[in-house]
Amino acid sequence: MRRPLAGLVAVATLTASLATAAPPADDPLLDVAQAELDRLWEALATRPEPPHHLQLAIVDTLSVRVEATHGASNGVRSNHTRQGDVDIRVGTPQLDNTHQLRDATWYDEEPRPEVVLPLSADPARPTAMALWQATDEAYATAVRRLIKVRSDLSVKVASEDSSADFWPAPPRVDLGPTAGLDVDDRAWEERVRTASAAFRAWPQVHDDNVSFTAQATTTSLLTSEGTRLRTPRTWFRVSIWASTTADDGMELSVFDYLDAAGEEGLPTDLSAMASAAAERLVALRNAPVVDPFAGPAILRGRAAAVFFHEILGHRVEGHRQKDEDEGQTFTAKVGEYILPEFLSVHDDPKLERLGDLDLAGHYLYDDEGVAPQRVTVVDHGILRNFLLSRSPIDGFSASNGHGRRQTGAAPTPRQGNLLVSASSSVPYAQLRVMLKDEIRASGAPFGLVFDDISGGFTFTGRSTPNAYTVTPVTVWRVHADDRPDELVRGVDLIGTPLTTFSRIVAASDEVSVFNGTCGAESGWVPVSAAAPDLLVSQVEVQRREKAHDRPPLLPPPGAAP
Amino acid sequence: MIAMLCSAGLAATPPEQLSVLADAVQEEIDRSMEQLKLPDQPGPYLVAVDLLDGDVATASASMGALVSTEHGPYRNGRVEVRVGSYELDNSNFDGGSITGGALSRPLPTDDAPGTADAVRQELWLSIDVAYKAAAETHAAKLAAREGVDAEFPPDLVPIAPLVTEPVGYVDADGARVEQVVTELSAAMASVPGMESAWAMAREWRGVRVLLSSEGHRAWLPAGFIVVRVEGQLRAPDGDLVTDGRWWVAPDWEHLQPLEVMAAEATSAASWTLAAAHRPAVDDYLGPVLFEGPAATELFRQLLAPQLSGSPPPSHGRDVFGSGVEQRPEARLGRRLLPEGWSVSDDPTADPEAAGAYAFDYEGVPARAVPLVEDGVLRGVLMSRIPRADLQASTGHGRSLGAERRVAMPAVVTVRPDKERSERQLRRKALALARQAGLDHVLVVRRIAPLATAEDGWTGDGLAPGLTPPLEAYRLYADGHTEPVRGLGFAGVDRRTLRDIAMAGHVGPLVGVMDGSPGPGRANIGTVGGLPASWAAPPVLIGELELRHCSGDEPRLIPPP
Repeated sequence: MRRPLAGLVAVATLTASLATAAPPADDPLLDVAQAELDRLWEALATRPEPPHHLQLAIVDTLSVRVEATHGASNGVRSNHTRQGDVDIRVGTPQLDNTHQLRDATWYDEEPRPEVVLPLSADPARPTAMALWQATDEAYATAVRRLIKVRSDLSVKVASEDSSADFWPAPPRVDLGPTAGLDVDDRAWEERVRTASAAFRAWPQVHDDNVSFTAQATTTSLLTSEGTRLRTPRTWFRVSIWASTTADDGMELSVFDYLDAAGEEGLPTDLSAMASAAAERLVALRNAPVVDPFAGPAILRGRAAAVFFHEILGHRVEGHRQKDEDEGQTFTAKVGEYILPEFLSVHDDPKLERLGDLDLAGHYLYDDEGVAPQRVTVVDHGILRNFLLSRSPIDGFSASNGHGRRQTGAAPTPRQGNLLVSASSSVPYAQLRVMLKDEIRASGAPFGLVFDDISGGFTFTGRSTPNAYTVTPVTVWRVHADDRPDELVRGVDLIGTPLTTFSRIVAASDEVSVFNGTCGAESGWVPVSAAAPDLLVSQVEVQRREKAHDRPPLLPPPGAAP
Repeated sequence: MIAMLCSAGLAATPPEQLSVLADAVQEEIDRSMEQLKLPDQPGPYLVAVDLLDGDVATASASMGALVSTEHGPYRNGRVEVRVGSYELDNSNFDGGSITGGALSRPLPTDDAPGTADAVRQELWLSIDVAYKAAAETHAAKLAAREGVDAEFPPDLVPIAPLVTEPVGYVDADGARVEQVVTELSAAMASVPGMESAWAMAREWRGVRVLLSSEGHRAWLPAGFIVVRVEGQLRAPDGDLVTDGRWWVAPDWEHLQPLEVMAAEATSAASWTLAAAHRPAVDDYLGPVLFEGPAATELFRQLLAPQLSGSPPPSHGRDVFGSGVEQRPEARLGRRLLPEGWSVSDDPTADPEAAGAYAFDYEGVPARAVPLVEDGVLRGVLMSRIPRADLQASTGHGRSLGAERRVAMPAVVTVRPDKERSERQLRRKALALARQAGLDHVLVVRRIAPLATAEDGWTGDGLAPGLTPPLEAYRLYADGHTEPVRGLGFAGVDRRTLRDIAMAGHVGPLVGVMDGSPGPGRANIGTVGGLPASWAAPPVLIGELELRHCSGDEPRLIPPP
């Protein structure tokens, strides 16, 4: 059944809607929020500690999820939520309540008010009441925090970063269309059901999940500066997950997915994806475990992209340069080489597509109402800039539109589309030849090719080793001679950023894109990363944590004993 | 009733559809019993699967506007594998594995061909995990008992298998659930000054299919409607004054009419308005009169753990010491109430009660149980988990998800020795107050339900204890009353019930949602838990302490 979700203007895709769909003639939600913002601003102006900035944001989300397992559907789940955020600043732009509290404990930070809004702004009062309560609580919290901030500055030594706490942005008015969903959920149910049934041909695959998700988000944002924004976003994903247990107890899984800004960007036959995932999983199950190793490697495709997202991207987020608990790997390295000269890195949230792929990290305005800029982070190996929100850092006084957050969190600088490019590159076949040369030159017993990775994490603070872990799914052992590559399993890629970057030797001319969701201090946000295949002269891998249970004792129902 | 709902356009799930799934589940149970075995470990002696199939509609509204709504099918498989014997198996023991041999897992809700195969595949994985956990837990339990010179009761009572005819069900009415929450929150919001007026409701409609290697093949209808409404208003000094109402019924026919619930919601809001404009009171020490709704909640909170005979799980020697021998909280012969009082539980007495049922979740026929006689505990509710002094189940084995099937109260009636009039109660209360040097007595009309009281937080910390009053007032000798706010009970436990000085007439059965006895009882969520019914009289307690528990701050900005 094709069913538009209630009450919103349906648009086929984000790109189409932005170009063609007219904004709604009236918007009760925006009207209610604007009236309440004006009223709150006026009321707070009379307080002894008036705010210097107030922002109300409302995120309306329509979603549809259809999933199947073992060839049967779990039904169509449609959902509609409307949540809000209140960001209020008291004090002055130079020093306000958001200033870092040094040596603060978890108990020093009060939770932000949760703003759950009615699904309709008609009548207006329920929405206005929710915004009022949240603002009242947020203001009281801000005043209390400002007292602690002032005390912190008196008691502690001078801050290393003397920049202001807030960059006043010029107001912006841009009212785009609302985002809607019009998906044939029953057709998708049949597609995921059929794809999931493909796993029945693989008795060594124990569990599976095939899903289709569609999400349409309309973000309304208003500030006391006069900014009024309404921006739509639609995003669609098909994903396939399959798991098994190896004979040694290691739990193995394969996850594959395709993202698109429009439904037409997704394949309608998912069975081939499912069969490929099953084939890969069974091969992994039978693959040998590799021991801890240090030697040359190629980071292929999405692995290289995620690698840069984790290792470089998080360390050039602006707030980490200001936070004295952070490791600040790159804070003092502006103008210095941090990467080989042939590599440059940009973050460009304005970019909608790369090649045939829609980019998840694209957005029109960040969560502080600032239009994003293409930021040259690294230019031919030299660090040039950081990703910035409206909280400036020394030497960088203005936002470049990277203040982002998950609803409910305070915005911080985050990556959008992190793009790694190489000024000199070689075909992938040549990169493999170079890998074998490195194996021979280093005397290593073999090299590794990381084909795909499921994710990773990195520590950026000072109280922990400034290290990263990347979790590969598919790793190949490559020999210097003519022996064929061998699929291996059971290792995680580990290291530290500066050492690893100094060992990048070459890049291929093939660029791959990772679309995903990144979690950090300001919650989960959609991101993309693109990078060429990279040859690294030395990486280190460690054994992966594993479970100890035997595989299922009985064969699957219906399988031959 | 079914015909009426069908005519309103609600979908129905026929019994034939679930019969196909039940056959597949039974085949997997049989295969597991025959073939599942670890090297050098015993195979299972019992495999059971509860197939819970239904349709659920949940919605919430704030200030008269819908904020969330969800309606869809629900299917879940609770798998329990037992290793050892009825005398000594892996159950009733904490340790050895995380699941202990029982786990609960969502199942595909499809009705397309091939669903039975998918369900069986899921259960294959669940039974495998549960069996390994059962084997580990069984071994850990044997290790814990090694060298312990004590007699232990059996772990499970064998029973005759229950076989019933398949039944279907009619889907939940999502539109009606949305209407209820919207109108109730609107009714509450209609009172000027309300800061929040929130309502949430859930209708659960379905069937629980019991299947096991013991031969169970029973279809037990399952369903309830729970409605909650809660409002808050801030006093001038910042105190957040809260009041609410809640209803639990087996179906729409037995739920209060919407206009009656709306009037109650408005009444609750009016109470908060009146209470907010009274000054905050200081601590109170003196007699307390619990009116009907408060008394029912008082007994439910304090008495329920004393009525469940199920022993707690034991554990081995660990950082908490040795816990191989565990004493049930419910002790026969203990005085719980004053002389002449009685308590009984009969899930079959009133089929229209929220907590009524014919068979419990273990397939045991429910029966009436005299619990308290002359104020002393003479009988307890039992599931199939025996204890040293009691073996047979009384048909009260229920729990949520994969939790142990322990005895839970179902339809409880508390009867005093003498039922006095309201006038007599008030006169006695004022007399006791005078003796205590007070010019008034505190009357509590409602107390917060355990499940919504700040995640079970009571005046004495986490339950046990007693949740704070929602509606309380001072009663003066001349008959005038003054609402009070911001009080919480202190030092209340089961012994408090022995100090009941006088009681009124037993009220009607009231539907509530409850959790299994134990630390998790208060964490069932806003509209979660299992339905039960309680009837109790208003009571006067000679002396109780209540402390002022404010802490909120006034609003800084006027409301819109």
